[in-house]
Amino acid sequence: MANKKISKKDIAKLLNQWSREFAVFVPSKESGIATMARWDGKDVTLDWYRNTVIPKANFLPAMEEMFRFQKDKESYNIELPPDGGKQLIFGIRPCDARALAIIDANFKNLYQDPYYLSRRDSAVLIGVGCINPSESCFCTSLGISPTESKDVDLMLTDIGDQFLIEEVTDKGKKLIAKASGLGEATKEDETRAKEMKETSYNKVTRKINTEGIVERLIACFDDQDFWEKIAAKCISCGICTLLCPTCYCFDINDELTKQQGTRFRSLDSCAFPVYTKMPMENPRAEKWKRVRQKVCHKYGFFPMSFNAIACTGCGRCIRLCPVNWDITQVLNNLPVKTEVGK
Amino acid sequence: MTTTNISPSKFLAQDNVYLPHIVVIEKIIEETPNIRTLHFNFKDKKLQKEFSFESGQFGEYSVFGIGEAPFCISSSPTRRDHLEFAVQRVGRVTNALHRLGVGAEIGFRGPYGNSFPLDYLGGKNLVFVGGGIGLAPLRSLIWNVIDNKDKYKNIDIIYGARTPADLCFKYDLDSWSKNKTVNMVTTVDRGDESWTGKTGVVPKILEEVAPSAKNAAAIVCGPPIMIRFTFPVLTKLGFTPEQMLTTLEKRMKCGIGKCGRCNIGNIFVCRDGPVFSYAQIKSFVSSEY
Repeated sequence: MANKKISKKDIAKLLNQWSREFAVFVPSKESGIATMARWDGKDVTLDWYRNTVIPKANFLPAMEEMFRFQKDKESYNIELPPDGGKQLIFGIRPCDARALAIIDANFKNLYQDPYYLSRRDSAVLIGVGCINPSESCFCTSLGISPTESKDVDLMLTDIGDQFLIEEVTDKGKKLIAKASGLGEATKEDETRAKEMKETSYNKVTRKINTEGIVERLIACFDDQDFWEKIAAKCISCGICTLLCPTCYCFDINDELTKQQGTRFRSLDSCAFPVYTKMPMENPRAEKWKRVRQKVCHKYGFFPMSFNAIACTGCGRCIRLCPVNWDITQVLNNLPVKTEVGK
Repeated sequence: MTTTNISPSKFLAQDNVYLPHIVVIEKIIEETPNIRTLHFNFKDKKLQKEFSFESGQFGEYSVFGIGEAPFCISSSPTRRDHLEFAVQRVGRVTNALHRLGVGAEIGFRGPYGNSFPLDYLGGKNLVFVGGGIGLAPLRSLIWNVIDNKDKYKNIDIIYGARTPADLCFKYDLDSWSKNKTVNMVTTVDRGDESWTGKTGVVPKILEEVAPSAKNAAAIVCGPPIMIRFTFPVLTKLGFTPEQMLTTLEKRMKCGIGKCGRCNIGNIFVCRDGPVFSYAQIKSFVSSEY
């Protein structure tokens, strides 16, 4: 069956149809910060953004209520927050969609995380290919294409005044079946999409070498000099982890007002000394150990657990770092362990 | 290592792994000026009956409005009329736990983590090496072993604390020293006028006692500094890294391998531990523990 297409000016009409069933989110700069914001019914323009927006927050919010508790005649009543409903994320980039697929493993392993997984299960992801990757992007080194994705339900490719629509999952097929105002893609549209995909792919010029990365990292795990050098300019601000689409670490805390309270969880970062601090000791009080943990967890320990590198090459940690710390430089300059006697 | 053979806790509240059960504090024993043991039971009588755990497993305990913290279950699964955990007053949650009285209600999630490998320990001489509140997880196993004495060989217990006033579980120490199948050695770093036992840090006393490594396993728990100095002594005595077991403590918030902070190397202490053989953790002990 031929792919569909939609005129860019009709996107709002399409979203309007879906908004009856879903809470629709689109990339927005309204608040001054690029976010996935609740769609306000206006036209959606996508040309302004690469992947500044981080859709992770739709599934793992920076802060969320886990439950409320109330003391009532010497006993506690525990109440879960209401279900947030089904989300439709329009305009997710292939790198960010892959990131969700990567961290799913953590939230599914051994125990099901009810908050994250219920949002994931009910959500629809509509990808829009990235035709203008940034200089800091290196997704292709992680096996990701800026314009193609198997981690979304529908995949859109910019072909000028229109988007070509590919159905990726059954969920996506159903959405298309219910939608009106779509055209049939012609051969010329398909050719144009193919050209756009190739051009976009080749625009990603930054590379990392992932071959044997786990072994190479483990080999230099104890090389304190190397890690101290790498960590020297880091200011432990945590931005590279908080805005990383595959960073999922969180903290759990209570808030109390009179006889009522809330337990909430919030994003946390291995860049902060307090992250591992126990009252009597801290295994990672030194900065170089924390930087090592960040690098080794993403490219070593996470792959050892889940067979996937916890990085999508989205480049945010490079673009947003206040001191120009560059993960690709670190990974491309790992010390090579020379064998004795060689 | 990470493809865990741990089965998830069966005792979830409302099918949500983060929701605590309500438990009631039934008894409090002040062990030392800053350590207390709390005896508790589930408010839900059905759960109280059905609940099971293994020595070495831990729980996440909440003081509502203050927060949650992990502690091992310090009582033995062979003695199930109530559960126990021991708490040193060091931080926010532990301070709150020290303010509670009998009858107070707290939250409990668990049991989490793996447990001491009873099959492996069976038929062996067991050497327990503990320091301070580190005896808490060991005593669950010690009572477990004593209650199934025919499955194990000789028991050595080397336990120490900074001063006589810092010794925990004195009622257990008394009971074990009267037990003919147990060789109980108690030591303190600094004695006082009335102290008649041994004086010296635990690794040093362990070297003096010199238990044989033949058909034996050593189970070590205490402050990190004690653990770090104990492994070399055990090695000197002929114990292999596989024969040395310990239980680690980290800042475990979720208790179920998700929140990330107890990750050392490719291990998540809460998910893959807290019980490890020295063989499993020795490459990270130098710099991360």
